[in-house]
Amino acid sequence: MEKDETIEIRWHGRGGQGAVTSAELLALAAINEGKFAQAFPSFGPERRGAPVLAFNRISNVGHIRVRAAVTNPDVVVVLDPGLIYITDVTSGLKQDGIVVVNTPKSLADIKSELSGPWKLAVVNATVIAREALGIPIVNTAMLGALLKATEILGLESLVEPIKERFGPRAKNNIDACHRAYEETLMAELSVVGQGPRKAFETERLLSWQELLPGCVVIEAGNAKQYRTGDWKSQHPVWDQQRCIKCGICSLFCPEGCIGQNKEGDFEANMYYCKGCGICARECWTEAITMVEET
Amino acid sequence: MESLAIYAPRLVTTKEYLASGHRACSGCGEVLAVRLTCKALGRNVIIVNATGCMEIVSSQLPYTSWEVPWIHTLFENTAAVASGIEAGIKVLSRKGGYSQKTKVVAMAGDGGTMDIGLQALSGALERGHNFIYICYDNEAYMNTGIQRSSATPFGASTTTSPAGKISIGQTSWKKNMPAIAAAHDIPYVATACTSYPFDLMNKVKKAMKVEGPAYIHVLSVCPTGWRLPSDLTIKAGRLAVETGVFPLYEIEAGKYTLNFDFPQLRPVEDYLKLQGRFRHLSKEVVAQIQERVKAEYAKLKRKVIQGS
Ligand SMILES: Cc1ncc(C[n+]2csc(CCOP(=O)(O)OP(=O)(O)O)c2C)c(N)n1
Ligand code: SF4
Ligand code: SF4
Repeated sequence: MEKDETIEIRWHGRGGQGAVTSAELLALAAINEGKFAQAFPSFGPERRGAPVLAFNRISNVGHIRVRAAVTNPDVVVVLDPGLIYITDVTSGLKQDGIVVVNTPKSLADIKSELSGPWKLAVVNATVIAREALGIPIVNTAMLGALLKATEILGLESLVEPIKERFGPRAKNNIDACHRAYEETLMAELSVVGQGPRKAFETERLLSWQELLPGCVVIEAGNAKQYRTGDWKSQHPVWDQQRCIKCGICSLFCPEGCIGQNKEGDFEANMYYCKGCGICARECWTEAITMVEET
Repeated sequence: MESLAIYAPRLVTTKEYLASGHRACSGCGEVLAVRLTCKALGRNVIIVNATGCMEIVSSQLPYTSWEVPWIHTLFENTAAVASGIEAGIKVLSRKGGYSQKTKVVAMAGDGGTMDIGLQALSGALERGHNFIYICYDNEAYMNTGIQRSSATPFGASTTTSPAGKISIGQTSWKKNMPAIAAAHDIPYVATACTSYPFDLMNKVKKAMKVEGPAYIHVLSVCPTGWRLPSDLTIKAGRLAVETGVFPLYEIEAGKYTLNFDFPQLRPVEDYLKLQGRFRHLSKEVVAQIQERVKAEYAKLKRKVIQGS
């Protein structure tokens, strides 16, 4: 970090993935280095699985007075590989800013999907987290990747906050962080190129003029228009040979999004499926497997 | 497992009254409970829904997931609003303006039912309104981020009963809400859980037929608040029942029936160890919980044997 600089970071994750914890740990590490720091989530009704944001400001100038959400970040960190296809992760990113992405894809593949006047850093944090922690919670690994890409803090400054937060699980988290630091690859993005392939059309929000007076909703069940399918980080796949067509999956799906198609095969509607994995867990014959989104 | 024919799920209506596109957490057991309840209730109902997760996730402007008449209430007055609607229907029927037999169904979380809405609920049960009250018990105030309620079990860590070096988390035992409802001498009280969907739906259908107040207490697994992988929602509910932590029973006109009896309960540890909110518990505290569960289960069985 330069001597008199304030760096703004925006974290893109899914509810439950630990974006807020990442931001908090980073701020604590910065404060331990004698810097000034903020960490806070974006507040909203978003729930486990839904795309969420968290923010950091880190400064070696002095107190940070701004309390607003970060809209023009110097760095964005993307915890979930699928998010670059469903949200505009580089929105407002400053010239020469850095995009740090967790992805199983190669540097070259991601370079062909993102473009702009930015630097790119990639790491397969999901694999690292699975191996180091046994679960795909990537927040500590992504802290390692962030520090490799930006060098805003020393890697060792994270050790204390991680110990404090994770207690007996600290060692594994520190390992994940170190490994991601080692494995992060960097590249310049090309300024022109196509944007990322969008998984779905982006939803258009209604303006206040379009709402009925009194906030009346006149169409029963119109939430059907609302897509929750982009909350998922994995999706169910049926082995129709094994499936005995009992329908227990459709009964237990919290989204009510499993039904039979014309051939009589059970399938999930990906427009709504949130990837909870209940159907796969409860299937009598283990005909359903959860496959990670890429 | 529920004793059911393997193809029984195919007999359940595919009609949904709670539309997809709701914003409950991935793997939410509470929204699943509401979805199944609505299938059992059918079309001819008016739902009165307290503030809480279920209201928030189902009614975000400009969308609603509800396919049946639905009104949002405060915590304090859910049962009072239900009473008013029921009384209104009665008057309209008497005056000849309304001929349908519409059931009024109040729904609230454990915070909305067992803490904040208890007074209005007690009043409505005592006055004998013809309605169903369903408590979706996820064992804390989840919508606002896992604050303890009187339904939070002993030893659970929440944001307002955090476990630490000295604290074991929640230090009081879960309030016995079905017993409080039953103390009003109402015709029907039942406990249910989403992991037993047919039992849940049968109880809702039974409650529909009751003249007078019916109270159903549904254990609703919340993977977010219980710190549980989202695919284990159903398994956790099943373990709650199989360990005797949350027995499934009915009280019909004062008579107790245990719907699933286990000669040998599973150790509570099987249930506790699945969940992050109990991760910190020592062997001693687990043993203490085991004792309590055994004693409560024995108490319940005595009531079943005595018939009341
Ligand atoms: C009188 C009042 N106090 C506090 C709140 C804020 N609040 C909204 S939802 C909620 C939690 C609800 O918990 P519960 O009833 O258990 O339902 P859950 O969200 O767990 O389904 C709280 C505290 C409120 N709306 N009204
Ligand atoms: S993973 Fe299965 S149960 Fe979960 S939302 Fe998707 S289809 Fe439904
Ligand atoms: S917090 Fe719990 S009860 Fe509320 S929507 Fe999420 S999983 Fe469901």
